[in-house]
Amino acid sequence: MRSPRGHRRRLSGTARYTLIRTATAMLQAAFVLVAVFVLTSLLPGDSVDAVLGEQGTSEQQRLARAELGLDEPAWTRFVHWVSDLGHADLGHSLVTGLPVTDEIGSRFAATAVLAGAALAVLVPLALALGLLTGLREGSLADRVLNASTLALHAVPEFVLGLLLTAWLSVGLGLLPATAAGLRGSEILTEPAVLILPVGVLVARQLCDLARQIRIGVAAQTGGPVVRHLRLLGLPERTIVLRHVLPGCLAPSVQQLARCVDGLLGGTVVIESLFAVGGLGTGFVESVQDRDIPAVQGYALLFAATALTVNLLADLTAARLTPQREERA
Amino acid sequence: MTPSFARRRLLTGAGALAAGTLLAGCSSGGDGGSSGSRRLRAAFSAGGSQETLDPHIAPLFVDQARSKALYDSVLTYKDDMSVQARLAERWESDRSGSRWTIRLRSDARFHDGSPVTAADVLWNYRRIADPATGAAAQQLFSGVDFEASTAKGRDLTLVLQGPDFEFPAALGAPGTEIVPKDTKDFAKPVGSGPFRYGSFTPGGKALFTAWADHWDGGPSIEELEFVPVNDERARLNALLSGQVDYAHDLTAASASRVGDRDGLAVLRSRLSTMQAVLLRLSRAPFDDARLVQAFTLGLDRDRLVEVALSGHGTVGNDLFGMGLRAYPDDPPPRERDVDRARALVKAAGAEGLTVALETSDADPTWRNASALIADQLKDIGLKVTPHVRSAATYFGEVKDKGVAFHSRTATLPVVTHLRSRLRSDAANNLMGYEDATFDRLLAQATATRDEKTRLELLDRAQRRARDRDGQLVWAFSDWNIGHSDAVTGLRAAPPNSCDWARFDRVKLG
Repeated sequence: MRSPRGHRRRLSGTARYTLIRTATAMLQAAFVLVAVFVLTSLLPGDSVDAVLGEQGTSEQQRLARAELGLDEPAWTRFVHWVSDLGHADLGHSLVTGLPVTDEIGSRFAATAVLAGAALAVLVPLALALGLLTGLREGSLADRVLNASTLALHAVPEFVLGLLLTAWLSVGLGLLPATAAGLRGSEILTEPAVLILPVGVLVARQLCDLARQIRIGVAAQTGGPVVRHLRLLGLPERTIVLRHVLPGCLAPSVQQLARCVDGLLGGTVVIESLFAVGGLGTGFVESVQDRDIPAVQGYALLFAATALTVNLLADLTAARLTPQREERA
Repeated sequence: MTPSFARRRLLTGAGALAAGTLLAGCSSGGDGGSSGSRRLRAAFSAGGSQETLDPHIAPLFVDQARSKALYDSVLTYKDDMSVQARLAERWESDRSGSRWTIRLRSDARFHDGSPVTAADVLWNYRRIADPATGAAAQQLFSGVDFEASTAKGRDLTLVLQGPDFEFPAALGAPGTEIVPKDTKDFAKPVGSGPFRYGSFTPGGKALFTAWADHWDGGPSIEELEFVPVNDERARLNALLSGQVDYAHDLTAASASRVGDRDGLAVLRSRLSTMQAVLLRLSRAPFDDARLVQAFTLGLDRDRLVEVALSGHGTVGNDLFGMGLRAYPDDPPPRERDVDRARALVKAAGAEGLTVALETSDADPTWRNASALIADQLKDIGLKVTPHVRSAATYFGEVKDKGVAFHSRTATLPVVTHLRSRLRSDAANNLMGYEDATFDRLLAQATATRDEKTRLELLDRAQRRARDRDGQLVWAFSDWNIGHSDAVTGLRAAPPNSCDWARFDRVKLG
């Protein structure tokens, strides 16, 4: 229906948006790198303090600092780090001497399994709940689910984790209390250990995502388009699948991006509570040890994940809401 | 060169440590997750991917527990930190105290069947003494003249640079376990301990199997599994839910929960960890001895134990090592004396003086203790403000920062503590205590052959240091271990002693 000229303009609009959005993401990444470096440099103590502790003599501390290059000015170290980064080299951990990529790699699998399992449960559940409540706004189901998600949202993750563990593992003995001793993807060999941590993760994210979908669904359902389609006598299923769902996807995709982001970088509490050695614990440990190359590696990974996921979400959302581009 | 050095988080202040240790390579070898009924699972806090089975570089408690299972040391410590035979059959010095002869047991064998020889032991001690190894016990062997020392069959002669009748403490220290001569690779190590290597992943589980031919009779359990669980709550839950049979290092609150539960029990080792506030004597304001004394008299130790340790501890007396060998007999208790303390503060012209007290979450009791100390010292006219540092870097940072700071030390021989903490030239003399008379008494003591005279001299040295060294030992906290009732043969023993984390005498019922 659109003229060829209009079509071309829309494409270039999308392209321009993609370009600007990607450039912004890269600027943000650069900013994050500098910020992380400055902040970690400002922390009191260094990895020599963390590792040698009270036992090292001042001579040993001096030698260790020289060996690790910690006696160089901060900006020199930053320049070295950035230039190594150019060769895809994240450097070596100050604590273990292993390449940072190996350190992070050994932790990635556990978090990826947790996050993947959580997403696999989260997305269909959130869609179902969002639809159920959104289509019947004000119904009993809606009110019950609304109240319970609000209540669930108010409970901190670690409290929920402790309560569930006390009840299901310690009290009833139904589920393993921790994933202790399982490294990386070994966690898949005993899937039962995933149930509690994934449950707590999903409980938290579900509240946000289901409510977001519910709002979208409710807005569409009450809108003139759906009313018109209903008058035309289209089957309810078609209306929901073809018109209601696509309409609420754009904002939900962005909420989903925040979920993915949180699942990959922010599972520190869950990981320590259930003894899962994932990215969150690794990041916290490297901050504690002032292991700056590792901290930067993690920060880079988290920043890249956040930026990529959000970039993809924004681009997807932009595609899903074409009218926005035509205005842009 | 790859910059690397292993993490050290041990409570002890024993040896000097150097940078530049290499890690044992990762070993694979999973166990399929099957659990035999004769397998003991023990949860410890672990050190992540930098862990190694090298016994000489064993900074964490889990490293030491694993070392104890895989290897033997020449001597070991009783509960009071006096020495006891392990691989040695006997040990004695010549009259001068600078030439020690050690005869090894004839029935000790490494897991590959070869006998444990004096040459093996000598090689191990040489390796520990080499600063490049970064061994925890390096300082304890720095006085050995390895050129003059000899090994023949099962007879070892260690020649020291000077007289030292307390030298046997070195042969039982943590991190002095014996591996076969020329061992370079610790990925699948051979030891002479009651368990053999099964599998190990740094930061992951370790599985060891019983070695029936051990000279001490071999373990009753078939397998021993170390499970890393760093979070204390998770460790408690793992024990409560039956995932593990043994959980090391529980807080007082967790210990009560374990004690209340059917089928579980708690081992509480009293007097295990010295809790102290150290004052930097070399720096204002504590270069004024009156203020050190005022601080000492201002503390209400009973309240500190009651509140900060929730009653799970014993009041301290400004001396390390209560209950250990060479601890002075009945030093007079420290009584709180607010009036005198206030008068001392006034005399020093320090009324209303603000003093920062360095603290961290390295020990969970310190936060409460700091608040309480601030409260108590308000009564004598000092304004103490807690200054919280990061737990991981705390011990490194306070080495040269701050004037008053919390510290703690696990059980070690008293002499080791005096040498590494109170001697003027000691690497870990954080107070900056310099007293020629104390140094002389300590040197005189260790050069004295007669045990009774030696202990008398050590007593005198400690009584002298107690009033001026700036080490305010306010308590000794308990060490808690939880275990299932199915595990028998365990006893409460202080960390670093022979019976602590000892699994070869354990039975699974």
